[in-house]
Order: sequence, then C-alpha cells, then structure tokens
Amino acid sequence: MKAFWNRFSRSRSAVVGLAFFALVVIVALAGPRFFPGGPFQLVAKPFLAPGDGYLFGTDMLGRDVTAGLVYGARTSLVIGLTSTAIAILIGALVGGIAGYYGRWVDEALMRWTEIFQTIPFFIFAILLVAVLAPSVKSVIFAIAVVSWPPMSRLVRGEFMAMRSREFVEACIGMGMSDARVIFVHILPNCLSPVIVTGSLMVATAILTESALSFLGLSDPNLMSWGFMVGAGREFLQRAPWLCAIPGAAILLTVLAINLIGEGLSDALNPRLRQL
Amino acid sequence: MTDREEVRGSDGVVSDAGDEESFEAGRRRFIQATGLLGISAGIAGLPLESVWAAEEGSVGAPKKGGTLVMVVQPEPPTLASYNNTSGPIGQVAPKVYDGLLEYDMKLNPIPSLAKSWTESPDGKTVTFKLEEGVRFHDGKPFTSADVQYSIMEVLKKVHPRGPTNFQEVVAVDTPDAHTAVFRLKNAAPYMMKALSAYESPMVPKHLFEGTDLHNNPYANKPIGTGPFKFVEWQRGQYMRFDRNPDYWRKGKPYFDRVVARFIGEAQTRTAAVERGEVAYAAYNALPNVDAKRLSKSSTLVVTTKGYEMDAPIVELEFNTKRKPFDNQKVRQAIAYAIDRKFVIDNIWFGYGKPATGPISSNFRGTGLYTDDVLRYDVPNRMEIANKLLDEAGYPRKGDGTRFEMVHDITPYGEEWRRFGEYVQQVLQQLGIKATLRYEDVPTWIRRIYTNYDYDMTSDWLKTFGDPVIGVQRQYWSKAIRPGTPWVNGTRWTSPKVDELLEAAAVEADPKKRNELYHEFQKIVVEASQIIWVMELEFTTVYNRKLQNAVVSPLGVNTSFDGAWMKA
Amino acid sequence: MSGRLTGRSRWPLFVLRRLLQAVPTLLVIAVLNFGIIQLAPGDAADVLAGEAGGATPEYMAQLRHEFGLDRPKYVQLAKYVGNLFRFDLGYSFRDGMTVRDLILQRLGPTLLLMGTTIVVSIGLGVLLGLAAAANAKTWRDDLLTVVSLLSYATPLFWVGLMLIEVFSLKLGWFPTSGMETVAAFYEGWDRVVDIAYHLVLPALTLSLFYMALYTRLMRAAMLEQWGMDYVTTARAKGLTERRIAFRHVLRNAVLPVVTMAGVQIGALLGGSVVVETVFGWPGMGLLAFQSLFARDVNLLLGIFFISACLVVAVNLVVDLVYFVLDPRIEVR
Repeated sequence: MKAFWNRFSRSRSAVVGLAFFALVVIVALAGPRFFPGGPFQLVAKPFLAPGDGYLFGTDMLGRDVTAGLVYGARTSLVIGLTSTAIAILIGALVGGIAGYYGRWVDEALMRWTEIFQTIPFFIFAILLVAVLAPSVKSVIFAIAVVSWPPMSRLVRGEFMAMRSREFVEACIGMGMSDARVIFVHILPNCLSPVIVTGSLMVATAILTESALSFLGLSDPNLMSWGFMVGAGREFLQRAPWLCAIPGAAILLTVLAINLIGEGLSDALNPRLRQL
Repeated sequence: MTDREEVRGSDGVVSDAGDEESFEAGRRRFIQATGLLGISAGIAGLPLESVWAAEEGSVGAPKKGGTLVMVVQPEPPTLASYNNTSGPIGQVAPKVYDGLLEYDMKLNPIPSLAKSWTESPDGKTVTFKLEEGVRFHDGKPFTSADVQYSIMEVLKKVHPRGPTNFQEVVAVDTPDAHTAVFRLKNAAPYMMKALSAYESPMVPKHLFEGTDLHNNPYANKPIGTGPFKFVEWQRGQYMRFDRNPDYWRKGKPYFDRVVARFIGEAQTRTAAVERGEVAYAAYNALPNVDAKRLSKSSTLVVTTKGYEMDAPIVELEFNTKRKPFDNQKVRQAIAYAIDRKFVIDNIWFGYGKPATGPISSNFRGTGLYTDDVLRYDVPNRMEIANKLLDEAGYPRKGDGTRFEMVHDITPYGEEWRRFGEYVQQVLQQLGIKATLRYEDVPTWIRRIYTNYDYDMTSDWLKTFGDPVIGVQRQYWSKAIRPGTPWVNGTRWTSPKVDELLEAAAVEADPKKRNELYHEFQKIVVEASQIIWVMELEFTTVYNRKLQNAVVSPLGVNTSFDGAWMKA
Repeated sequence: MSGRLTGRSRWPLFVLRRLLQAVPTLLVIAVLNFGIIQLAPGDAADVLAGEAGGATPEYMAQLRHEFGLDRPKYVQLAKYVGNLFRFDLGYSFRDGMTVRDLILQRLGPTLLLMGTTIVVSIGLGVLLGLAAAANAKTWRDDLLTVVSLLSYATPLFWVGLMLIEVFSLKLGWFPTSGMETVAAFYEGWDRVVDIAYHLVLPALTLSLFYMALYTRLMRAAMLEQWGMDYVTTARAKGLTERRIAFRHVLRNAVLPVVTMAGVQIGALLGGSVVVETVFGWPGMGLLAFQSLFARDVNLLLGIFFISACLVVAVNLVVDLVYFVLDPRIEVR
C-alpha cells in the first residue's frame, strides 16, 4: 500500500486531482448541514451577483447558488459512483463468465455485449430515462446500462489471459469450485485495470448526467450540476454565473477524476495503455 | 396605444376596429383590403391613422421583394392544418391557405375569401358571398363547392376542433359558384369566430375528394389560395414559401419569399435573432428573459399583441375525485397561497396578467368576462389558507406538515419546471410536502387525461375565440372523456354549470349570453377545482424594419400578405 | 509475406461473414428497442391530440386505427420485423412520409458532421499525441495533457453555447446555427462554401471532445511502441530515428486510435444529439430525440436500426483499415 502511494504520489497532478476530489466528497457529505432548507428554498431576491450577500449569488427564483452546488455535488457523486458500480458489476460478471468459460458461453455473451455497443448509447440512455420517467433511479439505471459493455470486454480479456496461466490451471486441477477460482484467484489479479477504467467511467457518468439534465431529463426533486447549467443557460446574458459556476464544478471534478485515473494507471501498471 | 391604432398598418390593410359588424362594414373593409387605399382613409375618416403615421415616422409605400426569415418552434409535424392544429403548423399553413374570414383586434370578423355575409335573425342561416376570380395555386378556381367540401367533408370530420366549431351545421348549400349558405340546427355564435385560415382553412376539393385525407399527397405539399406558394420542406431545417404572383388581393404579397427555420435550442434562437439571421420569432420562441432584454434593443421590437384569440391561462388543476382534493376548502387554500405576482414577475418575467377565473380578461371587450368573483389575491391570503386547511381537517402534525402529495409539472419547458419548483416551496409553507414529477408529453397526457392518476398538475389551455370552443371543455360534465387531452380532467361537475354552459352555447342574444357566462364564472371560481394563476402573454420578437408584422388577433397565424421590410 | 497474400485474397469472404453475423445483432436491436418503447406510456395519438389542443374520442380512435396502434403488440412487432426483411422501415404517420425518406434527408448532414469530426479529431489527436510523446515528461507534455483533459471534461453543450457566444455574437465570424443560409438559397460552389462555413462551430465542438481522447491514446501508444523490441532491432540495423518514428512506430501507434474511433461511432452518433440541438444541425440524433417524444415508434426504431447498421459498417471498414496498416494481422 505504501509502495502504491509512493508511486501514485510521484505524479503531482494526480495528487492535486485527489485533493480536489476529496474536497468535493467532503462538501457533498457535510455541506447540506449548513443549508437545512434545501437547495430549492427561496432565500433572497433573484439574480443577486456572487458575493452580494451570498457566496455564489442567487438564481432566477432567488435560491442560493451555493446551496445548489453543495446538494448538486451530492447528486453528481451519487449518480457517478452508483452507476459506475452497477456498470462494473454487470461488466465484470458478463466479461468474467465469458472469459472464464470461453467457447459458446463466450460467443453468446460477447454477442450480447456487441448489441449494446452497436446501439448509439446516448440516444439509448435518453430512451430509457424517458420510458422510466426522469428520476435519480432511472438516470443511474440508464447510465449503467449504456456503460457496461467496454468494461465487460476489458474483464473478458483479463480473464482469458489469466485462465491459461499455470496457477489457475493448477487450482482447477485441484478440484476447486469455479466460483472460488474466479473470486479468490482471478478477480483480485485483474482489479487494477478495472479500477483505472472505472475511475474514468465515473467522470463520463457525471458528464452524461449533465447532458441528460441539459435536455430536461433529470429528477425534478434533486438539484444537480447539470440541471443548474441547463436551467441557467437562459440567463447567460443576465446572470452568467448561473451557468458558469456549476459548469466549472463539473469541469473541475471530471478533470480531477481523470487525473486520479491517470495516476492510478501509472501506479498500478506502468505498461497499461492510458485510455 | 389602443388596439385600434395597432391594427392599422401603414397601408391600412386591416381596417377600423370596433364598430358593429354588418354586411356594409364588411364590404367597406373589403374595398380597403383590395388596395384602393388612397381613398380608404378618406372613407373611414379616422384621424387616428395620421396619429399613428406620425408616431411611427412612417413609411410611405410598401417596398416589394426580399425574403422574410422567421423561426418556428418546434418544427411542425405536418402541414395539414385541416386535420392537425399543432401550434407550429398554424404559424406556417395560413401563408398557403386562406379562410373565409379574418378578425380585427377586437375579435370581430372582417372579410377574406368571404367578401361579405349575412346572418338570419334566429342565427340558423348564415350566407357568405365569396370573392370572385380566386384561384388555387394549381390554377383551378376557388368556388362555393370548395367551401362546402372543406366544411362538411374535411373540417367537420377530421379537424380536431372542427366537430365542435361546426357542431350545429347541418348543410352548406351552394346556390351559385360564389355563394355558400350554412344551415344550422341552432344558433352557434362561436362559429363566426372559427373561420380564419388558421382555424378553418379552405382546401381544394378537386385534389382532396375521394382520397385518404391523412395521407393525401397534398397534406405536406399544400395547395391553397393564399399569398405564398409552398415550395419545399427540408426537415430539420426550413420550409420555403414563394410569392404567389396571382394572389387575389392584387399587388400583394410584398415579400418574394417567406422561409420558416427550425432551431431547437432557445439560446441559439436568441443568438440568430440578435445577429439578424432571423427577422421574426413568435410564440415565445425566445425565452422571456431575452425578450425583456431585447425590448430595449434599437433594432428589434418585442410585442405581446397578436395572441388575443389564444388567450391562454396558466392553471393548477386538482384531481377532485381524490382525497384531500375532493374538499373545496383544501383547493381554495392552495389557490390563496399562490402568489400570482411572484409567478408573473419571476417566472414569466412580467409577460402575464393575474387571472381571476376561467374566462380571460381578453373577453372584457365582448362583455363575457367578469372579475366580480371570489378573489384569491387578498392581502391576508396565507392566513386564510392556513385557516381553511385547519377547518378542512388537515391540521399541522408534530413536524409541521399536514399531508403529502405529488405535483405533476406540465412538460412544456423551463418555465413550467421553475413554476413547479415555486409551487413546491409555497406548499411547504402551508405544511404540505409535495414531490415533483416531470414526465414527457405523451406520458403526462396519459396520466392526466386518461388514467386520472394525479393529485395536482400545472397545465395551460388556450381559451380561443369563444368560451364554447376553449372554456366549456374543462367544466362541462359531458367533457369528461377519458383518453382525450385538454378536456375536463378534474372531473368536477355541477348540474347548474352544465345548464348554464348549454344555454349559453345556443344563446343568440349577446347580452343574455354574457349574463349566463358571468354566473358560470362565479360558481366555478368558488368551487376552485382549478386555480387560474395567470393569463399568459406570449411574445413576438421581430426586426424593427419589418412593417405590418402583427395586424391580427391571430398574430403569426396569418398570411403575412401585407408585411414588408423597410430598406 | 504469404500471410499477406492469403489475407488479401480472402477479404471478400471476410466481409460477407461479418455482414451475415450482423443480421441477428440488428434484429435483436430492433426487437429490444420495440419492447422498450412499448413500455413508455402514451402513444402517437396522444401526442397528436395533445399538440392539436384537443380532439374528439372518435378522432383519437380513428388515428389509432390508422397507425395500427389498435392491433395487439405482437402483431405490430411481427409486422415490423417482417418489413425489415424487405428493407422497409415503415411509415411515419406523424410526418406523413416513409421513414426511409425521413432518414435519408438527415443522413447527409449526419455523415457530414460525423465525418468531419472523425477526420479533425483523429488528425489533431494524432498530431498532439505525437507532440506530447516527443516531449514526454516536459512542461510541453504537461500542458498538452491539461489542455486535452480540459476539453474532455467540459460538457459539450457548454462548449457549444460558448462558441456561439464568442464566434457568432461577439466576433460575428460564423453563423449561429443551421446548415446553410436559407434566405439565400445558394447553388453550386457557393453552397458548398456556405455549408462549410456553417459546419465549423458544430464540428469543432464535437471534435474537441474526441480529440482529447485520441491525444491521450496516441501519446500512450507512441511511448509504448518506442519501448518495443523491433525498435531496438531497427536501431541496431542503423535506421535513422526519423525513419523509425514514421515508418514503424507511428504506423503501429495509430492502430489503437483507429480502433477506438471505430468503437466510438455509436457514441458519436448519440453525442451529436446535444450538438445538433444547440446548433440546429439537421442530423439524425435530433430526429431521434424528437421522434421519441412524439412516440413516433417507426421512426425511432428506424433510426436505431440505421445507426446500428452504420456502426457495423464503420467497424468493418476499421478492420479493413487495420489490415492495410498492419499486414501482420490476418483477417479471420
């Protein structure tokens, strides 16, 4: 662990990314305590400029933009992390089984994966959210459904490579159950590429959520950064900060996650391709 | 300025508003309309015209030529305005199709394809004299047979509102090629408000008869008698209409071409108008906040005129078959709690007027409207609201809440979403915990008007030219029609209201009719099955050089035959 | 060398096999999407009546009958799939046109935007990636990293709106939206120039995003290739660094970029929804978005189907390009 940290911290940008991401997490966890009225509460006159009594000003209805940012951090992180976790789960399951058992199982599962890769993913996500009605659950579900295929291909490749290694053959020869071989012996050995790719998927998920919000497909009861940018764009001339501040929040968070991803990639496997 | 001045275009196309309609008046307007205008100012003898001319620093003879680029939002699904009344279709189809009548700014009929008309005293026979020498774009003459066909075979059968507009029409007789006689079962005063090119286009019998009207090849390549000919429709981009050189109003139209562009993103539409790529944007194509900003621009004009025949009202509708909204006191409490001024100022940026009831104050001029009803915009309204909820049996519990509910948001864009967020906050102040639900259009329509699976929803309905067409549908017991949108979705009924509405629909005497509607307004406002929040004002933003841009209560939904661009 | 010859001669068979393999994939996509759309409440008649501002029950029933919506779902599905086998994508009742014609109108602009984006983003990505790799571990490398990550991390719609704000409104260099100056109706060469002019901002918006990806990929691939044995061998043979870089390393490093571009065609088609919305570009993404909310089932399914065909076709082309770039790879 220490060695890992040493390698990770060799990249200054990765450390900066991690620090910023940690800040976002802290804000998301602790911030709402400071805004008990929630992000939708009308607190003051509309369109107060940043600093005019409120750190980041107020929006078109007189809501505190800072409160929106804080609650939005929570929404963006929940959506980014949960949808990625689900996508990794599906992807690892499908890819793992395909890679481990090979042959017709592999063929069938990869065909299924290919189908999902052939559908234009963002339009498919829109379809899913529209069908299920916009809510935080449907957005998470839709993002997970469209983002698992690359993960499954990655895991499949790792599993195929592992499957033919001697220690795995030996385990199977000893009569170990498939589940034990998979979970105890193979899976831990392919975690590093999964973690690296997963970290980038979190970033993509946050971007996808913001694009869905932009098109009006977000949970109306939750404040999210994408929603703030989307709702603020009408007021680009009147109140540019309504669009710029949450936009910057998205940008910096996604950037931070990407930097962490690169750092992880270097630290875990210097030879790994940086996607 | 008054309506009267506004309508008077520099060439006087649409003429003096306000006097009682008659055969003679109609004919006089027709004379003006055909361009004998040097004389018309003399005939009409209206000093106001010169006032107008002086104020606007106008303008001389109309300049011919050029292209008018307008933005239409969203892109129309079809051009078949005879069987689909989707808003954007109305903005383009009247360039191609004419109607029997047009309307002045006070909603009185003026001539179009019908150069004059007479109504029998019992209101059961209406005779239209048609303009002569009118030809469709394919060269075939327009006659009374086309009128008969359009009304009886097209509008009465496949138009969404046609069956209501022409419900009393039994037959259209054609004694000669230029006379059409409508024979009615009962008087139908609203029918005379429904004969514009927008509401009831006159289509060519020779191209439509015997075909499947929904899939007729001319549905999307319309052939009409209007000032512009349809040329092409590049989906996702634009529609192009070119000048009809044989238009029956000689010398018109002035533009060589009208192009309707489609731009999905509101910010981009604003940019296109600001940059001069687009000269005309109606129906809030630009967000209100931009309209407000651009109203100070030296190159653009922002107006709320031209929507008098829409008269849309922003509403909150209750599901009166569901607890606790079956309780009048609960409904009234919420009606008291909504701050109409806040909504108008902060959500629609000033483009609206507080609504007092189901009939828009636009009808003040015709006497249909009254504000002598229960008023919810009183100073101590929050106090009353809380008291009503206590009385209704929903006191605040330990945590300060009374009950929970779901508030559906009508899926028509950003303002509606903000309105929902505002309502949620107001309900919270009353101790009502509301969850918001925002679904897409088809889902929402199903939920509200088929499944009735809702507590309270925002909504907006146009009241159109007459209460029979636009208002009655929300209050009449026979308008509870599962599966049909924009009817009585609250399912609130009262025998008395039914009686009043049915009597008013066939009442030929305007005065008696007004009294019936006044009583109707009093009853439903007290019942509060709907909260009438505000009368929505749409905006039109157009280039200052554009002349005669808004000359009718139908605004953009007209032919633009008198519009022209100053150099 | 012999592998190369047999590989080359077998490519028509390879193409045929891939096309046959694609048939079940495309069918499953059609059925899957049909099923999902059926789950959505409300139908095309609801939408039309909704837009119309009212309708009678008879009118609604008539519409449903005409659209075939009153038939059982499995009959509708069977009919749809049957039509697909005859290359018939059906009819859009809402638009009063065949789906084929509707999509054909949009295919040109879509391909134009996509093609430009792919060329620009790969071109720039490869160049910047090369520059970064050549300056690896210097401030130039860091700068390129930050720039490419920034353009990746910025939401597309935000970039689009900003470009309009700056280049259309403030500077007045480019039109805000649309594909051509419709008031002018240019013809011939003028029209080409006009369209190119309109293409700049939307293509730039999309390209910036993908460029970032390809830059990262190219940089990594270059660095990896430099470490390979064949480079050492080449040096030993006395080839110049320049020759090694361009003849050998570059060629191999471009492969993952090309693969990635192929994989991302689907994403590009979808991602263009946002750009098409912002710039009013008449592409297929926007059409899909509109058809969904109009419950125009035939049209939406048709777009999914055609997009899937496009993805299959592009990936086939990518494989063939691969084959040209790297003769060692045999087509299977």
